[in-house]
Amino acid sequence: MKRILAGAVALAAMGAGSAALAQDIKIGVLYPTSGGGAIYGGPAMVGHNLAVDEINAAGGINGRMLVTVARDSKLNPAAAASAAKEMVTKDGVDVLMGGLSSAVGLAISEVAKQEGVVYLATIPKTIQMTTSKLHPHVFRTSSNTDFEGDAMAQLIKKIGGKKVCDIQLDYAYGHDLSDGLKAALKRHAPDVEIVLNLRPKLRATDYNVFITQIMGAGCDVVTSGLWGSHFVDFAQQASPFGLFNNIKAYISGGEVASHEIAGKMGEDYPPNVISNTYELWYHAVSPNHKVFQEKIAEKSGTKETAMWPVLSYTGVRFYAEAVMKSGGTKSEGIIKALEGMTIDTPVGPRTINAADHQANTGQFWGPMVNKDGFSYKVMDPVTFIPAVIK
Amino acid sequence: MTSPLSKTGMAACLIILILCALTPLLQSDYLIDVVTEILIVALFALSLNIIIGYSGNVSFGHAAYFAIGGYVNAILLTSYGWPLLPSAVAGVFAATLTAAIVAYFCTRLTDIYFAMLTLAFSMLVWAILFKWRSLTNGDDGFTPVHVPAMIDDRTAFFYFTMIVIVVSIAVLWVITHSAFGRSLVAVRENVGRAGFVGIHTRRMRWQAFVIAGFFAGVAGVLFGMYHRGMYVESAFWTQSAQVLIMTLLGGIYSFFGPLIGAAVLFMLERLTNEYTEYWPTVLGSILLVILLFQPDGLVGLGKRIKNKFGGGGSP
Repeated sequence: MKRILAGAVALAAMGAGSAALAQDIKIGVLYPTSGGGAIYGGPAMVGHNLAVDEINAAGGINGRMLVTVARDSKLNPAAAASAAKEMVTKDGVDVLMGGLSSAVGLAISEVAKQEGVVYLATIPKTIQMTTSKLHPHVFRTSSNTDFEGDAMAQLIKKIGGKKVCDIQLDYAYGHDLSDGLKAALKRHAPDVEIVLNLRPKLRATDYNVFITQIMGAGCDVVTSGLWGSHFVDFAQQASPFGLFNNIKAYISGGEVASHEIAGKMGEDYPPNVISNTYELWYHAVSPNHKVFQEKIAEKSGTKETAMWPVLSYTGVRFYAEAVMKSGGTKSEGIIKALEGMTIDTPVGPRTINAADHQANTGQFWGPMVNKDGFSYKVMDPVTFIPAVIK
Repeated sequence: MTSPLSKTGMAACLIILILCALTPLLQSDYLIDVVTEILIVALFALSLNIIIGYSGNVSFGHAAYFAIGGYVNAILLTSYGWPLLPSAVAGVFAATLTAAIVAYFCTRLTDIYFAMLTLAFSMLVWAILFKWRSLTNGDDGFTPVHVPAMIDDRTAFFYFTMIVIVVSIAVLWVITHSAFGRSLVAVRENVGRAGFVGIHTRRMRWQAFVIAGFFAGVAGVLFGMYHRGMYVESAFWTQSAQVLIMTLLGGIYSFFGPLIGAAVLFMLERLTNEYTEYWPTVLGSILLVILLFQPDGLVGLGKRIKNKFGGGGSP
């Protein structure tokens, strides 16, 4: 009996601990830092911490320091939702940030809605977040599948593609990107025909059946959103068939132009690929950007840095600006401040649309080519395609 | 296990119940959430133990019925605007029906074949939830779930959950301590012998599976409403493994073992996550220790300590 009572007292004490309020501003951040997602979550935390360190070194926001409360999202929506809720109710965080996969993003968004806390989605791209599942407390500072599909359609038009084979992963992101691309083609190049729709499974490793179908379909452009290891496997299996040499271009979303992929693949990276990325360590758009890249390089221990830090960094910067503008951390004030807000990010100014809470986060797009001095393919020329849907 | 609740046991249950019911008075949203979640996973673990501890089969696919209950209720509440009662009943019914069908096949097998078939069926359920995008929203997860206004409040939902769970546990207690429950234990201990004394062993195992599916469905219904969302991960084999570990940790030879295992593992995971992302390492170590040194779980450990220091009175 005594033990039971002691346990209850301990539990109560834990709850009471959370009531202590400090002047610090607490940011609850959720990236996958274990398992398969850690290769994205690790670099994301680097950018997040840089922003927090910079702001604190400059004296905080109106004298209040930023404190990060981090949890592993485990790439699992229910676990991320529980962790997000815990950060709000136990740690008393003022804002939620992060997320990686679409499902995790939507799960955190739901917690934000229930708890009345603002959530800044820094990586998830699912279009539902800012359309059918939009609510006042959710904002997105990353790109989305409609912007990505629109850029792909513009590129198809630019290179004069006529017949397109579309290969997308059979899950949320693949379906959303495919929809975004189709809608954009109607706007930019209505005469382009999609002759083949292929849907390999998420985490597929064998693409041979799809490769032969593409080879036989006679398309001049292949569009795709195969990301990460999906692209690596697909490219390695398709190259011996000459798939990449027989088409005008392989236009891909999913950020396979990022250095993470190009550097890893080296000589195996196929030709004729046009793709996107949020950040290229060898391409600075401004002196500020260069400084940012150097700081990230220092924190990461390599100058060949990943593209994720800029996303998490931007999220913190948007929030800090909103706290400054609204003069506090109250959600209502933050929401009002974020709507229509423009800030200078390392990769140029970004504005959050007041109507759909989506930032106009465009991306760098371009062909991946061999260049002197690099043992892997790099993007050249680099074109910034802004997030505008006309 | 088959002994009726002793006086001290009864008093302990009552005190825990009262303490749980008083949680909202502490004015901590965090504690309310934690207790709500523990209650839900505890029922989930208790339901699994009907298959493992009582009928003596290991199921690697128990998450399927949890997920079906959650999804059916979530979809009916949200997409079709059903009131809570019929939609929750439909959710539990769907879970039970699926369990009945799966059990029909699984109970023809034993041991590893039984375990593998439960795993196969659960992955089938996972694949359907994943692929049926128009209904379940696939791997984006089914959010939000419209929770009726009556329980759309932290404290109200807490009491609602508590009532449902306490009633469920009471029913489970009665079932496991009835003649049916005792016969099940006989089946677990010696199938051949149980058969000779006239017990229809396969039907008994089938019934145990169906009962487990029913209560996993109840837990799933509550889980979906608590999170305001259902996710395909809830049907994945990792979820089945987690609840299996909870059950083992608490002790499969005791009625309340899984409840204790669920609470301990849940809190351990929560607290570990605050400091490190190496929860899987911690979990693996716990599993090793249980399997190697403490196969009857925390309850067994408690009994051993009690016997050593408390004079060895019979439990």
